[in-house]
Amino acid sequence: MKTSGILFTLKAMRPVTGIPALLMVWTLFVAASPSTLLDPSRLTMPQIKYRGARFAPVPGAVEGLLAQVARRTSIEVNREPLALEVTDPDLFKYPSIYMGGDSSFQPFTAEELKILRQYLSYGGFLLIDDNSGRADSGFDRSVRSMVAQLFPHTPLQKIPRDHSLFRSFYLINSVVGRVVVRPYLEGISIKGRTVLVYNMNDLAGAWARNSLGQWNYEVIAGGETQRQWSIRLGVNIVMYALTLDYKKDMVHLPIILERLRKYHTP
Amino acid sequence: MKLFAQWLGLDPAEYNQWQVHWGGDLSIPVLGLIGLLIPLALWFFGTSLSRIQSRIKRVGLFGLRVAAFALLLMMFLQPQMEFRKSQASRNSVAVLLDNSRSLSIKTFPSEATRGDRVRQALADQASYFEKLQKDFQVDFFLVSDHAEPVLPGELDDRYRLQATNTDFTRVFMDVKNRYQGKSLQGVVLFSDGADLTQGPDDLSPELRASLLALGGRVHTVQAGGNENFKDLAIENISTADFGFVHQPVNLSVTVHASNIGNKNVSLVLKEGGTILVSKIVEIREGQDRYAVDMEFTPTELGRRVYSLSLPVFAGEAIAANNRRDFQVKVVRDRIRVLHLNGRPSWDSRFLREVLANNPKVDLLSFFILRTLTDDVAAPTSELSLIPFPSNLLFADYLNSFDLIIFQNFRYEPFIDKKYLNNIQTFIQRGGGFLMVGGELSFQMGGYDRTVMEDMLPVSLEGNVLKFLNDPYRVEIPAAFARHPLLKLEKDFTRNRQAWEQLPSLTGLNLGLEPRKDAQILLQGVHQNGEEKETYPLLVTGRNGKGRVAALATDASWDWNFRRVGEGGSGRYYQKFWSNMIAWLTGDPEMETLQIETDKERYREGEEVLVKVRVLYDDYNPDSGKTIQLSFAPPRGELQTVSLITGNEGEATYQFLPAGEGFYRLHMELERDGNKIGREALFGVFADTAEFMKPLVNAHLLKQMAEISGGRYAAIGDGPLDLSMLTFSNPEVLEPSRRKTFSLWDNWWCFGLLVGILSLEWWLRRKAGLS
Repeated sequence: MKTSGILFTLKAMRPVTGIPALLMVWTLFVAASPSTLLDPSRLTMPQIKYRGARFAPVPGAVEGLLAQVARRTSIEVNREPLALEVTDPDLFKYPSIYMGGDSSFQPFTAEELKILRQYLSYGGFLLIDDNSGRADSGFDRSVRSMVAQLFPHTPLQKIPRDHSLFRSFYLINSVVGRVVVRPYLEGISIKGRTVLVYNMNDLAGAWARNSLGQWNYEVIAGGETQRQWSIRLGVNIVMYALTLDYKKDMVHLPIILERLRKYHTP
Repeated sequence: MKLFAQWLGLDPAEYNQWQVHWGGDLSIPVLGLIGLLIPLALWFFGTSLSRIQSRIKRVGLFGLRVAAFALLLMMFLQPQMEFRKSQASRNSVAVLLDNSRSLSIKTFPSEATRGDRVRQALADQASYFEKLQKDFQVDFFLVSDHAEPVLPGELDDRYRLQATNTDFTRVFMDVKNRYQGKSLQGVVLFSDGADLTQGPDDLSPELRASLLALGGRVHTVQAGGNENFKDLAIENISTADFGFVHQPVNLSVTVHASNIGNKNVSLVLKEGGTILVSKIVEIREGQDRYAVDMEFTPTELGRRVYSLSLPVFAGEAIAANNRRDFQVKVVRDRIRVLHLNGRPSWDSRFLREVLANNPKVDLLSFFILRTLTDDVAAPTSELSLIPFPSNLLFADYLNSFDLIIFQNFRYEPFIDKKYLNNIQTFIQRGGGFLMVGGELSFQMGGYDRTVMEDMLPVSLEGNVLKFLNDPYRVEIPAAFARHPLLKLEKDFTRNRQAWEQLPSLTGLNLGLEPRKDAQILLQGVHQNGEEKETYPLLVTGRNGKGRVAALATDASWDWNFRRVGEGGSGRYYQKFWSNMIAWLTGDPEMETLQIETDKERYREGEEVLVKVRVLYDDYNPDSGKTIQLSFAPPRGELQTVSLITGNEGEATYQFLPAGEGFYRLHMELERDGNKIGREALFGVFADTAEFMKPLVNAHLLKQMAEISGGRYAAIGDGPLDLSMLTFSNPEVLEPSRRKTFSLWDNWWCFGLLVGILSLEWWLRRKAGLS
């Protein structure tokens, strides 16, 4: 609607040249950019852009995850891809963001770290996903360095198995991805809320799907079952970002504990 | 001395007394040194005179030297001569009448009070007091914890036995101060000895010291006795000043029994005429104190008055202590909120965070995480999802909540339509309800043409565009600028600026028509080309006793996170929701009629300050309004005064309550032809300490008399003879005029000294000495 309104305005004007014309074209371009077209009431998960490496080595990953979220849960999503720099003024319109990569990247500037710190401290959520499939990758080294600068007094810690994240939708016992480099997640929590989750198992590789609906990458060792667990983990992470510790309310605990006790979940 | 007085210019007939005062401030060591040096110097001088042949000359010179030293010593000691004119005055005797409440206790078998016995004794012994007044200045005082002078003729009016505390130590100190500079020869104390500051054994050191400081005899006359003293009393109640509604409140009660015998008595707790709890107390001879624990559960908010009572037995000395009232302020422990979310979203996540972090809120949240059409691709056993307990929530436990929030929540298929009637009843009985917008709310949630539409402050139009997805700015209509729900800042101007700073929103439910008596607190203003469109954003209303609100957006979270991104904070978002919760649950500070007193508990004799505030429904002050303020003492007539509110809608009234008990204040005014009002409660408490130890303490009275050299007597059923209560009557001269002369710092003293020294020197020279 926004785009057609602007076109109507252009038709009504006299022909213009030079800078005004460029400005109008730029305005049209900006008006048509995905972020302003996205329904703000739906979940959008932008991908973070950074310098010195490919910020999206696994195309279609986030869209693939969001498609699964939409299929399996009541959450309404925007599946259009969106990439933002940390300094983008629209960053705070999207309380959850994704960061992936497979090689080392240029460190964030002090300004970028400050914004990201504020973003996470006051309600935002960041999922970092190592797409390299290797332990001690360049991306892993860059991430750990960045997180250490982001929260120098709060180091990355293993997320315990009783964390709400592992029971926010599915009951999850295993941490996997396209590969299994580390069978656990790491994270940082502030005042009881986990604001950053770091996974080294290339979840994106398990989620990514092409436009024909085919999976882009094989899952190493565990096959399609492992892919399903990866998808479940992704759904849980998204659900946790939106509901936090809701599943720890007393009304839910008895049933969850009973199910965990009775059934052996993979 | 007469000659000396005349020489100083005084009339000896006028000044009949004289005295020497020494003004020198020499310490003992210095005086001792002088006492050593002078004889030593004289001895040396004496030996130096041995060369003089003439004995007369030696004696004369030595005498002059001694005189010089004596004069010098006198100058060191600075003597002053005081001449006084004194007259003979009378000695004083103070008669102290115990005026405390314990004197109102009856004595048996006559059933006259102890105070009556004192009055009778004063009347019977009138001749004793007449004789005493011939020789002494007799002053009467009413005493309790201080002494208050009273004329004998005023006793009938003023001897009322209402003082709330007995403290003899302070009484005697007060009496001593009153007789400073006068000759007090003693005291006659009429009392029952029930001094609460004294233990059962010896006098306290403080009382002993104050007795001795009086300097005279203290005769004590005991009023009343403990024979056949029968009493059952609620001696003490221990409970918290406030309690939580629907939560047990504990009471610890101490019952005191004296000469009641073996009985089972009922201790009953009531609120008004309703019995809450009753317990049996087994009274047995040989035991006088009983501890009883009780528990009750208040069901309504506000200041509640409860009473504990024991039966009154025939012949009880004090009936007043068989019943005690007390007050408990009943508050909510926490506001219980049921928060239903149609789907996880940022709006529900940020609101849930605010609610969960509010220490005043007890939150129960449910999210619909999947719908029937969602394919979870997993068996139930691998899901953490639980069935939505609609029956439990909307049938069994609905009334345990204070506020229900439907946030972007479509009720079907999760709640049976019949349960919507329960929500209607919940609201009309005083519960709060809020519907927050989104694509599953209002008409899109299927609430049109249901009882929920009747509950909402908006009607739901069909056949309209349902949702606005464009940005719009938020405005406060001028009429509601003072509404407490919108108060983000205390200052009016800063509040307006705070709202202007908040980001615009995107997402607004359309087709909401505010009802006639609803209030549109916020509007969404959307610029559609040249046209400005205004839609209701936040609408509030009342339904029955409850309050309802409709917030037609799912984007209020922008006031939090986006505001942070713009360099601000989420403080205003949190404040907005805190105000919303407070208003929906009827927080007293959000009432349009407010009445309160400056305290909740007053002592007898304390003035009460009542403050009232009247606001319009839009919370603007209603100034110049006449209101009727009524109050009634517990056993008195209703009184009503008219007050007129000032510029801020406030008025005050101050008054002295008639007596102890609980008072209910009622303010009433007329608005639009209807009478509206509000009530408040406060208590006036008499100090009942005097009845905590009601027994006569003969031992104390005897000890006081013995220590001071006085006599003890008791007013019994037989004749009383006070003639044995005697006092010393020494002559007392009271100076009325004084004149003082210094004997050392004048010319003749110095002249005499110089003269003596000069004469001595001349004589020594003549005698051939240096």
